[in-house]
Amino acid sequence: MQIERVDYIRVPVKDMAEANRFYGELLGLKRNPNSPDEDWVEYEAGNVTLAVMTPHTHDYEFTPLPPGTLALRVPDVAAAKEELEAKGLQVNEMWDSGLCHGAGVRDPSGNPILLHHRYGAYPDGTMP
Amino acid sequence: MTEVQETRRIGIDAGRVDFIAVPTKDRERAAKFYEETLGLKRNPNSTDTWVEFETDNVTLAIVDPESAGQPFAPLPFASIVLRVPDVDEAKQRLADAGIEFLGETFDSGVCNGAAFKDPDGNGLMLHRRYAPYRDGTKP
Repeated sequence: MQIERVDYIRVPVKDMAEANRFYGELLGLKRNPNSPDEDWVEYEAGNVTLAVMTPHTHDYEFTPLPPGTLALRVPDVAAAKEELEAKGLQVNEMWDSGLCHGAGVRDPSGNPILLHHRYGAYPDGTMP
Repeated sequence: MTEVQETRRIGIDAGRVDFIAVPTKDRERAAKFYEETLGLKRNPNSTDTWVEFETDNVTLAIVDPESAGQPFAPLPFASIVLRVPDVDEAKQRLADAGIEFLGETFDSGVCNGAAFKDPDGNGLMLHRRYAPYRDGTKP
């Protein structure tokens, strides 16, 4: 079985206007100009595409992603938290695992996004 | 009171997705599925409690939320969309391994897809886009 890559991660939302503001403006991800429709907008997160879409216009019911599904790499978690809070978002306390920092935030539909930065080396000595 | 309009850049410099967490209730069963059934490469930097699998572009991290005191909830329908050379062929292989698919393979006019679930009920999809994008480029 050959899996070439992950074509996209589906991010279910309830409202496209709110979601476009969150992913496009607040997170600042680039909107893919090839996005097929107003109810299916793709954002590029560096290595993978996030397909932000509304289940209710695709014949199924909305369920949010479970906690911690999407870990977005940021240069500085504390700075990213501060920046999002300045824009009115509620961001959870930042934690330090001893290897990485993380802070959780939710998109307007309740999908959890982890702001993440690993500062410790991997067991083999390489860095992220 | 007038609000001062911010003129600085937008966003938080999110550079990439570090990982997608795939929740499980049985880490060993999940690891076996992603490694042996789907054939993904296990990241050698994985630990006993944090196992990662590499696709070409993004890391899938198998996590056990209940071991961290969090309730388990599976990824919804078709959350992780896996590119394969041929959807029908890959589907047949998985079906032979006992994986159940959610309905027939679809053809959207630009791509083929077949949705299924991993042993924990996480929504996955086999996918192949065969048509170019609007701007003429191909996947």
